[in-house]
Amino acid sequence: MSAHSAHAEAHGHAPGAPVLVTHHHVSTVAILTKVFLTLVILTIITVGVSQVDFGSANMVIAMLVAAVKAALVMTFFMHLRYDTAINNIFILSSFAFLALLFVFTLTDFSTRKAVNPIHAKRAPIAEPDTHYLWKTPRTKEHKHE
Amino acid sequence: MTTYVPVAETEARQEPGAPHYLNVTHGFRSWALTLDHKRIGLMYLIGTVASFLIGGLLALLIRVHLWKPEGAIFDPELYNQVFTLHGVFMVFFFIIPAIPAALGNFVLPMMLGAKDVALPRLNLASFYLWLCGLVLATIAIIFGGVDTGWTFYTPYSIQTPTAVIWMGLGIFMVGFSSIFTGLNFVVTTHKLRAPGLTWFRMPLFIWAVYSTSLLQILATPVLGITLLLLVFERVYGIGIFDPKMGGDPVLFQHFFWFYSHPAVYIMILPAMGVISEVISVHCRKPVFGYRMVAFSSLAIAVISFLVWGHHMFTSGQSEWAMMAFSFLTFFVGIPSAIKEFNWVATVWQGSVALTTPMLYALVFLIIFAIGGLTGIFLATLSVNIHLHMTYYVVAHFHYVMMGSTAIAFFAGVHHWWPKMFGVMYSEAWAKLSCLLIFVGFNLTFLPQFIMGSQGQIRRYATYLERWTPYHQASTVGAVILGVGFAIMVAYLLHSLLGVRKARRNEWGGVTLEWDSPSPPPLENFERPPVVTREVYDYSVLNPKS
Amino acid sequence: MHTPQEAGGHGAGHDAHHHGVVVPAPPGFVPHVVAHHFDTAEAEFSADKLAMWLFLATEVLLFGGLFAAYFYYHGVYPETFKVGGHQLNWRLGALNTLILLFSSYTMAMGVRAAQLSQKALMQKMLGITVLCGLGFLVVKYFEYAAKVSHGLVPARWFSDHDHVMAGVENGHLFFNFYWTMTAIHGLHVLIGMLLILWVMKGGAKGRFYGGYYLPVDLVGLYWHLVDLIWIFLFPLLYLVP
Ligand SMILES: [Cu+2]
Repeated sequence: MSAHSAHAEAHGHAPGAPVLVTHHHVSTVAILTKVFLTLVILTIITVGVSQVDFGSANMVIAMLVAAVKAALVMTFFMHLRYDTAINNIFILSSFAFLALLFVFTLTDFSTRKAVNPIHAKRAPIAEPDTHYLWKTPRTKEHKHE
Repeated sequence: MTTYVPVAETEARQEPGAPHYLNVTHGFRSWALTLDHKRIGLMYLIGTVASFLIGGLLALLIRVHLWKPEGAIFDPELYNQVFTLHGVFMVFFFIIPAIPAALGNFVLPMMLGAKDVALPRLNLASFYLWLCGLVLATIAIIFGGVDTGWTFYTPYSIQTPTAVIWMGLGIFMVGFSSIFTGLNFVVTTHKLRAPGLTWFRMPLFIWAVYSTSLLQILATPVLGITLLLLVFERVYGIGIFDPKMGGDPVLFQHFFWFYSHPAVYIMILPAMGVISEVISVHCRKPVFGYRMVAFSSLAIAVISFLVWGHHMFTSGQSEWAMMAFSFLTFFVGIPSAIKEFNWVATVWQGSVALTTPMLYALVFLIIFAIGGLTGIFLATLSVNIHLHMTYYVVAHFHYVMMGSTAIAFFAGVHHWWPKMFGVMYSEAWAKLSCLLIFVGFNLTFLPQFIMGSQGQIRRYATYLERWTPYHQASTVGAVILGVGFAIMVAYLLHSLLGVRKARRNEWGGVTLEWDSPSPPPLENFERPPVVTREVYDYSVLNPKS
Repeated sequence: MHTPQEAGGHGAGHDAHHHGVVVPAPPGFVPHVVAHHFDTAEAEFSADKLAMWLFLATEVLLFGGLFAAYFYYHGVYPETFKVGGHQLNWRLGALNTLILLFSSYTMAMGVRAAQLSQKALMQKMLGITVLCGLGFLVVKYFEYAAKVSHGLVPARWFSDHDHVMAGVENGHLFFNFYWTMTAIHGLHVLIGMLLILWVMKGGAKGRFYGGYYLPVDLVGLYWHLVDLIWIFLFPLLYLVP
């Protein structure tokens, strides 16, 4: 049975005829297998790269490889490639809005110690002793009650 | 299939005994297990209004307590709990679900010409999630209340002996209820529009609720994980937000406001949608600049994700981040102003009918203008430092949340009441109550702007002698406000006796919900609607002119 | 366009009179009745699928919050996270990664079988997927047990009695992230397994065939998302860069 005739049935050209094959896209076994094998190779690459010290580039590489793996899973296993535009837009925009959370939060963190130069010209700013609370060692007697 | 022509049927009243969604089935189970969006909307209406009355009663108690500088009723610990509960009930149990879940559930599928929302079972499940959240919040009150303020800032929320865990879980559930409602509305809007109802023929209420739903879907999960981490923090002490264990409380504030600033627009956007509908119908004019108003809803939704740090100007956030947040915050003013100007332009030269819903809409226009403009001062970094944690902030957000969103909610309730129940309320009492609410509201909160700008700090159980006149004026206003709402409850309940039956198209609206009997039948329409005209085309009502 | 067929029975489960389009099924399968408020099976399919994608978007943001916190503290305490990461057994982590990737593969094969009305193959593929999920949780159990034996337990019970984290600040923080993230992820694995078992129950009755495989598809999407999250968790926790 060809995909085309199934398509016709689902649209009611032959009402009452059983729908044996969906008229949606059906992935081939070959493509699913290829994607799985690629994912395995990428996992090996992730582990391999982590054993070599590239400094701060390690994080970038690890995340890039993970992003490629995620993209493969979404595109082929989750069928996004054959899905509607609107479904693509929604799931991708969730990553975009998540990026906003990352960008603003990490901007705050990474510029926390930067002093506005306008202030710096007028008066030296004393090192505040109340912030950077994480410099305080954890105390054993701390309780949550 | 017939084309939608409401003219002939504007006057028709529902036949006595004709089956509609209220009388088609009977008994507790027929309501508890209903999948009908109208019944679910009605249950939300009852639930949210009950929460509003609880929150309102707490507000009255707060105002009465503040009659005297040393405080009239509570000791300070109890006072902290009372204002916390007031905030939690009003924000999470009333304002956020009120317009989308109560009015939206009823109206949105009808406006789209659909038989129901896309996922009726999920709709019922969201209602029960909301109810479970309410139960957990009640348990929290029994187990010692909560005294952190509605924002649950760490580290205090980790240390306080009050029932933060129960309340946190309750709000977690309410949050997911809100997510599922939003998800349902987005799918319904995409997939169940009547034939001919293109995106730019959709009423503006749909645009507003659609934008709100996007916010609910994209922002609320972050609140969910934040509250979950807070619960873990208290149960296990994971230390992520606890400075004693190396955590950073400012991160909690980031997470909290990543949700809670967009949540401000989850509250106001549907209100704006209601106002667009009410003004158009009661002025007999299409909304001026329809597309701009529609797009400004989406613009507000997107911009609202870029500004949350303006709640954290005194938190120790980095100066660069603060400058960025302050700068970006001003942009929210643009789409909001577009809406305000377009509404005013709609009223201009319209044939204004001063009905109760229209009066509420006019109140909204005034109060929202004040609420929006006073926000500009708070967005300004340097001024914010002065005004932070003062009554100025309290007054500002009450002008937006209570004076705008709640007022728009009541505009919507009065607008769709005849459609929901097939009865009309007494317009005379309704107008009196609207007047009292307008006067009472301004008397309550205008003095708070003044004393706040002079440095009166918020959230304290006592105050200095010099603020007495302001506080007492505010308390008098709150009592007037309370009387106004009491009258409203009375005449609305009285109207249900059915003394005055409502017409099919009580106000002469041209959106699809008026093309259905009042109250509507189970699947909303007698015949599947087909849309052939542009939105808000009132020429259909009086074809001769 | 289409000729809606009235359903004979009352299966749609709505308030009063219900009627919906029937999708004809091959012999041996139970025909699906479309919910009454949809005009076509395709409308129902696309609506429910959009709903699932929106739900997955909320899951992305929910886990995203945890990831944002992770990166924040990774920036504050790079040493703590490095030393903490070395305490985890990356071999077991990699094994679990491969198990989940394979389960995603079998899940995709299961959906394919459902699309082609191959009932036996679908049940087999879904069964393997559940077993993989179980395997993942068993490996996780051994990992957790090893951590507990070193006192690297969550939060307030953190004792670190072998002093593996002695040299760094706030050593407990890394393990709090480890436990919180893997526990929430593990809960999703468990829910996913239950959902697949539920689909298999319907599959055994012949509910899913070429004309109606929606639940298989939706549960599959959920399962892939669980895999997706692990793809990021694995390098961040076990191979801390
Ligand atoms: Cu804000």
